[in-house]
Amino acid sequence: MKISLNWLKKYVNIPVPDEELIRLIGARLVEVEGVIDETRKYDKIYVAKVVTAEKIPDTHLTLCQIDVGDVEVPKVEKDANGLVQVLCGAPNVREGMLAAWIAPGAIVPASVHEDAPFVIGKRRMLGKYDSNGMLAGADELDFGDDHSGIAELDPQVATPGELLADVFELKDLVLEIENKSLTHRPDCFGLIGFAREVAGILGEPFEYNAETEKHSIENQNLSITIENHDICGRYSAMVLEKHGEMKKKYLTWIDTVLSKSGMRPVDPVVDATNYLMLLTGQPLHAFDYDKFVAVGGASQPEIVVRLARDGEQLTLLDGREVELNHNDIVICSGEVPVALAGAMGGATTAIDENTRNIILESATFSLYNLRKTQMAHGIFSEAITRFTKGQPPYQTLAVAEQCADMLADGFKVATVADSYPNKEQPAVVKIGLEEINSLLGTDYSYAEFEKTLRNVGFEITCDCGKSDKCDCEKVNVKAPEWRTDIHIKEDVIEEIGRLLGYDNIAPVLPKHATAVPNAMLGLKTEVRRLMKSFGANELLTYSFVSGRLLEKAGLDLENSYKIVNSISPELQYVRQSIVPSLLEKAYVNQKIPHDNFALYEMNKVYQKKEWGLDDEGVPVEKIRLGFVVAERKGTGAAYYKAKFYVENLLGALNIEPKFLPLKVNGAPALPFEKKRAAEIWVGDKLIGVVGEFKNSVRRSFKLAEYLAGFEIDMGLMLELRGAKKVKDNFEVPAKLDETVTTNKTYAEVLDEIKLKYPGARITPVSIYQAEGARDKNITFHIEKS
Amino acid sequence: MDELEKLKAELKKLNIEYEKIRELPPEKRGEFGRELNAKKTAILAAIQKAEEAALDVDVEPIDITAPCDVNQPLPSLYPVSQGSAHPLMSELDRVISIYQLMGFDVLESRQLDDEFHMFDSLNFAKEHPARDGYDTFRTEEGLIPPAHTSTMQHRVLKKYKNKLDDGGEIAVVVPGRVFRNEDVDATHEHTFYQCEGVYVSRDCTMGQMIGILKEFFEKYYEQKLDIRTQPGYFPFTEPSLEFMIEKPKALGGKKGDYLEMGGCGMIHPNVLKMAGIDPEQYHGFAWGGGIDRLVMLRYGLMDVRYFESGNLNFLKEF
Repeated sequence: MKISLNWLKKYVNIPVPDEELIRLIGARLVEVEGVIDETRKYDKIYVAKVVTAEKIPDTHLTLCQIDVGDVEVPKVEKDANGLVQVLCGAPNVREGMLAAWIAPGAIVPASVHEDAPFVIGKRRMLGKYDSNGMLAGADELDFGDDHSGIAELDPQVATPGELLADVFELKDLVLEIENKSLTHRPDCFGLIGFAREVAGILGEPFEYNAETEKHSIENQNLSITIENHDICGRYSAMVLEKHGEMKKKYLTWIDTVLSKSGMRPVDPVVDATNYLMLLTGQPLHAFDYDKFVAVGGASQPEIVVRLARDGEQLTLLDGREVELNHNDIVICSGEVPVALAGAMGGATTAIDENTRNIILESATFSLYNLRKTQMAHGIFSEAITRFTKGQPPYQTLAVAEQCADMLADGFKVATVADSYPNKEQPAVVKIGLEEINSLLGTDYSYAEFEKTLRNVGFEITCDCGKSDKCDCEKVNVKAPEWRTDIHIKEDVIEEIGRLLGYDNIAPVLPKHATAVPNAMLGLKTEVRRLMKSFGANELLTYSFVSGRLLEKAGLDLENSYKIVNSISPELQYVRQSIVPSLLEKAYVNQKIPHDNFALYEMNKVYQKKEWGLDDEGVPVEKIRLGFVVAERKGTGAAYYKAKFYVENLLGALNIEPKFLPLKVNGAPALPFEKKRAAEIWVGDKLIGVVGEFKNSVRRSFKLAEYLAGFEIDMGLMLELRGAKKVKDNFEVPAKLDETVTTNKTYAEVLDEIKLKYPGARITPVSIYQAEGARDKNITFHIEKS
Repeated sequence: MDELEKLKAELKKLNIEYEKIRELPPEKRGEFGRELNAKKTAILAAIQKAEEAALDVDVEPIDITAPCDVNQPLPSLYPVSQGSAHPLMSELDRVISIYQLMGFDVLESRQLDDEFHMFDSLNFAKEHPARDGYDTFRTEEGLIPPAHTSTMQHRVLKKYKNKLDDGGEIAVVVPGRVFRNEDVDATHEHTFYQCEGVYVSRDCTMGQMIGILKEFFEKYYEQKLDIRTQPGYFPFTEPSLEFMIEKPKALGGKKGDYLEMGGCGMIHPNVLKMAGIDPEQYHGFAWGGGIDRLVMLRYGLMDVRYFESGNLNFLKEF
């Protein structure tokens, strides 16, 4: 949303500099995303009177002598009569009219924000005519798209020689407001509501009295039926009869306001509805009366508001045919839908240049339905943006009346109808000063509290009957009718805190107890430290993976939770295991190329089929440590390197693992090659898998041969982690090496050695097997401990 | 004949079938061709599968209990100089240790949660527009990879409620990975980290909330800093604020430069009530902010996409 400060200043007295005002708005009302500086945008653009206009034969050009008053521009020569010569290509240029003259050296306003703004110069045209600057069209002035001719100015408001910027208050700053931060404040989507808040922030009272509901309601010549009051809280309508031409002649101040607010001037009726929407937050819609009646088939308009039926068709104003669904709210003429409520009018009842009479609609609709409509049909207009914040119903009729007033030159009010069945009572909140100060940590007085709320339209009364300062513990705060967001005392506290400035609250520290360390985070931190010292690299990879990745790793797709609205097929499944993601990244790094590396990640995994839900009804979640070691040119069994990492890591955490043949299935074991992988056991617990991968898996990830990895459950690591035991015997130990010739497994031989040297520290030295020999020699280093 | 050879023979036969197409009347050729193509695709896929399976047949077993392979040297670890810790994780460790010294317990956030914890327990009305603001992902079952660490707030309140009964306060931070359905560019990721704080006591105030934020950021950036706020809107806090910190000098901050850091507010009474805490007796406040941004600022990183890239050129810098 865009807010012009000049427009804002028409409604509220602002005693502080603009910079301070913008800071205060940011600190106390809404996020200001940006400020568009338009203070120089209309520099050197003046009001000019076309004194003579002479058609140049065989061209579309007109030679004009213009009166620019006392304005003197360097290099621009005036003739004996004090007139400036300019060539104009517009068909509507004529003697006597007032136009906007862009003097040489000025920038065309519409191009101000372009990379290369267009600077107007003095030019010789057709070989003999000097043209000084140009007479501008509305589009060139950045007031809409009209390129049919030059913009004409009203002699009642403009004088030759005057700066255009002074005529229309164009030296302006325009605030760009982040809409999301006002989601709960429909009132601030109108300038009046915004200005009221600004007054509140500045500590000033706010006055705005629109004449309201001055017409009598006569629901006779027009009937309104709301089928379901949940979808439409109030529907007001007026029939306006044409009694004169409203041809647009001059560029108006309203055109400039619409443009600064990000809209385009179109025609007098549409412009009036748009202007009032920007001013009040209440969107309006105009139907062609005669078309409306014809579509319905009755003798007078029967407006019906109802939910659409699935499959019903409607052609919108923009020519698009939409298929409606049961969430959409439609406005019908009798039986026939003629507009998608809150979103867009229909083609069959659109106003055009032949329109005689109009039906002006001013209503409120369910924001929940409109949100769905917005998404279903992709309509993101200024009107629906306001409706989806939940516009309050109190002002529908008053705004329609204001619109009728604006159109009074061309239309007169024939009928006024209003359906407002359940008028909501404003919320009243009981609150005490102490409750406010104790939540905010402030020391505000009753007077500050009262004034702050009254400034923005709240009423404060007390059960004791006194209207001003009373001694009761609590008073009644009644929200104004435009504040549909006030329900509980915390809402009132927010008003006080915000309007008086959160930045005025002194920061203090509360008392605190000693925290209990989180053991899992402690373990992760330690693993991180250890793995770094082991030369491994910590990775973070996405929690979502592709179906293809799961397949490549040989995992079961059905065991993964599937995301229905994923950004891409690459991110469609919640992962069951860490290792496949690391294999993918191993490929990325081998390609760079990095020759040798060990990647690891500690993160959460989910297995839909295997684990299901926990006691709380949410999926069982486990934290896993995944690891992959890969070498581009490595040879030999990578298994032993991965296993060595397991032993070193677990050893440092005082966990003693055993490696048993891999028999388990399912994630994370599936990608591993059973003949070259092992289950990792600690006591009677299986904590993970280590090994090389199936050739098919390795190939599908396009990785070099030397490749292994492991995945360990960190919950079990935490559970099994032991305290470091320090021996109390630090004598220099006796050492010896012993070699065993055997065809048994290493573990079996190790057990025998352990029996032979009870209590000794035994480490391997080598495993040698002569070529063709049946047995191998295993050499151990044995130290007395 | 093994499976693979059988399939290859079938493929050969099929290729011959294609020649029959010429003998057919033109109007039947299309259908015939389509049928053959479908068969061929199926056979080719089966062949690929069989070939892949064949890769896994002739594998030499090893002694999985041994420390190394026969006649091979004992394995070694890579040099310390090659190792690295992920910057997001080591900074998160630092964030947590600061909060722990300030008396906060730590509870990690989930990565898959339900509608109740993500929205209902946080006072989001059903179908409220605010729910859309979070651009959440959903699974087939309607589960939600959380879009904010506030998804843990209800659990935190329930888990630590007994501390209030004992006359103490709830003081917990919740770090975790969160997800938003949005397009990725240099400053946006669909996957990022947040850290949430929750504090509840009999008499806590907004002044204390701002005090804690100030204290944290001053400790984190090791200098005195100014904190600024602006009004915000979250259904689970009332009043709600967004907060900014003065850009630290060490990061090239000049006077008047402020950085948006996150949202905060006094916990909505409905949220306390739903967790069984009486809002008439206790107040609470909560805040949350992104970790990625902190780390990017600290290291002068321009592209958030590095974090989950797994690229060692980047990671080895840490």
